Amino acid sequence: MEANVSFFLNGKKVSVKAPPAKSLLRVLREDLGVTSVKPGCEAGECGACSVLLDGQVVTSCLVMISQVEGKSVITVEGLEKDGELDPLQKAFVEEGATQCGYCTPGFIISAKALLNENPNPTDEEILEGVSGNICRCGAYPRIYNAIKKVVKKDGV
Amino acid sequence: MAYEKVEVYSPRSLAEALELLSQKRELIKPVAGGTDIMVMLKDGVLKEKELLNLSFIPELSYIKESENRVLIGAATKYREIRRSPLINAYSPILIEAIRQIGSPQIQNLGTIGGNLGTASPAGDSIPPLYILNSRVKLQKLGSSREVQIDKFFLGPRKTVRESDELITEISIEKMDPGSYYFFEKLGLRSANAISIVSAAAILSLENNTVKYLRLSLGAVAPTVIRAVEAEELAKDKELNEELIDRIAKLAAESTKPITDIRGTAEYRKKATYGIIYEALYKIMKGYGKKVEYGFENTS
Repeated sequence: MEANVSFFLNGKKVSVKAPPAKSLLRVLREDLGVTSVKPGCEAGECGACSVLLDGQVVTSCLVMISQVEGKSVITVEGLEKDGELDPLQKAFVEEGATQCGYCTPGFIISAKALLNENPNPTDEEILEGVSGNICRCGAYPRIYNAIKKVVKKDGV
Repeated sequence: MAYEKVEVYSPRSLAEALELLSQKRELIKPVAGGTDIMVMLKDGVLKEKELLNLSFIPELSYIKESENRVLIGAATKYREIRRSPLINAYSPILIEAIRQIGSPQIQNLGTIGGNLGTASPAGDSIPPLYILNSRVKLQKLGSSREVQIDKFFLGPRKTVRESDELITEISIEKMDPGSYYFFEKLGLRSANAISIVSAAAILSLENNTVKYLRLSLGAVAPTVIRAVEAEELAKDKELNEELIDRIAKLAAESTKPITDIRGTAEYRKKATYGIIYEALYKIMKGYGKKVEYGFENTS
């Protein structure tokens, strides 16, 4: 079973031939070579495969490629502009908000979705914004600090 | 991999979807957000080899007012319900429950109709739907019917939906202004945890006397249940600690929980008592949430 699906990946139009019920996560990794999206639980619980789908954060393991036709998909590769990392990416580097790094792309995508919608979130809103992501190294305080850093920069 | 053998149909209109469903019936499984189906597919427990993708049917996604009710299209995502000024104003208990479903990722994919179709006894949108006297609209080629929410579920993952029918709309009641409400759930993690016990209630008070109580419980029986005896006991009584204790006890007695990996039956009964006691106590002490029919606060 194969289907042709076209969508916008980090702003560029791509077309893939894939089984129509294959997950967006697996298409990104196996067919398009985008490996920043990580397979963790593949059940929507860990958030390591998060992407922005038409601007909203979703776990790409729970999305069928057939549902992506015509839509926009943004992964962390798509956050840099003109060779410059996104402020969130910089803050994650500066705050050392990563231990093994497996959860990092997913956390950055969730934080990005939150800040796009709400540039000045409260602490409670930050915690809820990344509640769908798990860091098994327990780098949560540093992840929080990195997000908070970007909030402060924009907020003041 | 299991997904390689699965065909997906993506109709662009409801008419087209109903036509496909009438031809294929039990061979095809409707998919709305996909948050349950994709996990079933990965685990190899999806028996259907064909999927009916409902994500490109805009006419199934809406929220509108109809006299004393609010009508929600079945493929409306949790995200949209949470942000709906209408539902925030008139039926905020549904918002309270949906805030606690999954995570932002799940709320951006999952739909209310999908939660009904999956029919898990632990589905978190379902307890509020019971006490909002909801009706589920089932449509098939050429006809449709409405089913009361408490007649819709037959057991875990079983509903009255016929294989050629599609869940197309959920109609909920507007709550009475000034009534109190709560939705409480216990899970292992605040996000993405399947409820061990959940409870939803609407309480109407006049001079601290209960005009009516509506109370539903999730994850403690084969389907969500209404705690009818507790509701009847509460009517016309003064809200005090003794009444709260009796309501919570009766509610706990009305459960038929199972023991599973998330909790024992005994724990579920005790927890039912505990969460209801605490939530009603807060209302009695003046910390309860109240229906205001206000249109400012939409988060």
